[in-house]
Amino acid sequence: MNRYLLALFIGLFAVMAIRGLSMAQGAGSSEPKRPDIQFEVLSPWADVDPIPFRGISPRIPTLAGKKIGLFVNPKRAAMPIAESIDRRLKAMYPDVQTIVFRSFGANVNEIETENKERFTAWAKGLDAVIAVVGD
Amino acid sequence: MIEDFGKPVVLLANNGFVADAQSAASSKGMPGIRIVGESVACESTVISEIEKGVAAVMKDVIEALTRPLTPEEKSPKQPTGKTPRVAFKGTLQEVNQFFYRKGWTDGLPIIPPTEEAVAEMMTGTDLPPDHIITTIIPRKGKATIEKIAVNAVMAGALPTYMPVLIATVQALADPKTRFDTFEVSTGSWAPFLAINGRIRRDININCSSGALSPGDIANAAIGRAVGLIVKNIGGARKAVEDMGVIGNPGKYSLVIGEDEEASPWEPLSVERGFTKEDNTVTVFFPNTFIQTVPGGTDAKGILDTLAGMTNSTMSSIILIPSWAQVLSNEGYTKQKVKEYLAQHAKPYTSSVVPSTAASPPKMDLDKSLMILVAGGPGSFIGLLRSAGPGFFENALVTKKIDLPKNWNRLVAKYKNLIPNYEKY
Repeated sequence: MNRYLLALFIGLFAVMAIRGLSMAQGAGSSEPKRPDIQFEVLSPWADVDPIPFRGISPRIPTLAGKKIGLFVNPKRAAMPIAESIDRRLKAMYPDVQTIVFRSFGANVNEIETENKERFTAWAKGLDAVIAVVGD
Repeated sequence: MIEDFGKPVVLLANNGFVADAQSAASSKGMPGIRIVGESVACESTVISEIEKGVAAVMKDVIEALTRPLTPEEKSPKQPTGKTPRVAFKGTLQEVNQFFYRKGWTDGLPIIPPTEEAVAEMMTGTDLPPDHIITTIIPRKGKATIEKIAVNAVMAGALPTYMPVLIATVQALADPKTRFDTFEVSTGSWAPFLAINGRIRRDININCSSGALSPGDIANAAIGRAVGLIVKNIGGARKAVEDMGVIGNPGKYSLVIGEDEEASPWEPLSVERGFTKEDNTVTVFFPNTFIQTVPGGTDAKGILDTLAGMTNSTMSSIILIPSWAQVLSNEGYTKQKVKEYLAQHAKPYTSSVVPSTAASPPKMDLDKSLMILVAGGPGSFIGLLRSAGPGFFENALVTKKIDLPKNWNRLVAKYKNLIPNYEKY
């Protein structure tokens, strides 16, 4: 009997030792060892000085009889698209006037270029603008 | 903006560019700009396709100019511009998934930017955490030292890279780079950084074999950090603001050092007005990288091959030291090589971009052609090509890299981090 108990004790000890070793290695367990280290992390997203948001301009009741600007950027599709719009506007509103402004600079704000005066005069003389970017 | 003249505007853009247009309008303070998306293939000049696309949206265009404003359009909700400093707390996997979902990564796992890691990163500069180097467009995010450091940690950079990152951010802010266009352009231009000076050796920037391949922390992590800075500080996100059509693997990293020790010529930095003791970074935005072997191995063979690769657009030639030596032995300086190319390279002409110039632009040697001696044993020649300077009015930009007071201690701490490949 004592020999049986001794054998049982040695057997249990061996099983526990093997299991402990297996768990330490992360093997033989149905649930893998989970990394539980917590990282408190800083945001990479930058702050900005908020630009005060402005509302857009009041709309016009109709395009009939109005001066409509067609702003055309340097992309090669922009002008043919503007020409299509121009034809369609004139078919829909025979008394509409259209005035084109072509921008040739890459990603420029015309108000900051040598075209400032011409651009300003164009914009001020209009009732509304359709901007065509060709992309 | 035309709306600032009090005129109602509608913007007609391809459906794929509507989100980009909305971001651009918000960054200029007018989030309510009315945008109509159309389905004409980008840049198509096929009249039947244009007519079909315009016909489909004409009603929307007219409505955008005539439909009365909503209260939100009249008076948009004001933004705060503030971001919580601490973004998240979680395990390594949770942090990575959180950052990825927020759109803050480049698709690869990041190192968690903990308070401790960011503080260690900032030992790479004497500037305080809240010091603003510049704001980065299009979002005009504040590039503080801390935000640069957070993105640097994420990229796996070492504190000794901070001086390079700060100088690079200064270069991006220089209008001559035309970063405003290149970072978001459909052309998928990637920032190329050429490093000169002692710092190359201090931080183990590879100037030799496979310098532009993965495998060196400095070459890899500096470029990666710049990409994250552009995204997270500048707010240029793929397919939202960065509209690169095909994309460019160079956006992960295009960082190289000039092999000054193996070059027979003066370093790029000296050529660009700095002293040999200065550390510098030179920046431009290529979208094309080609490599070839020269047609002949004497000076004429090398030069004629270069002339065949080059045109008048902004470029960087990467010349391996052995070919640079051949040219030098036959009496060619960098300047003489450039003059040969200016004389023999084909002028760039475009049927795509309208030009107001009467003749094709000539190669501007100082603004647009960089010769860099780098690369390892072998015979290949490299060429990275950008656009301009004609249409884009861009130029190569070089900035001095300032080192912190504790530089030697920092270098001693991190310099020995190099791979030791086992033989097999």
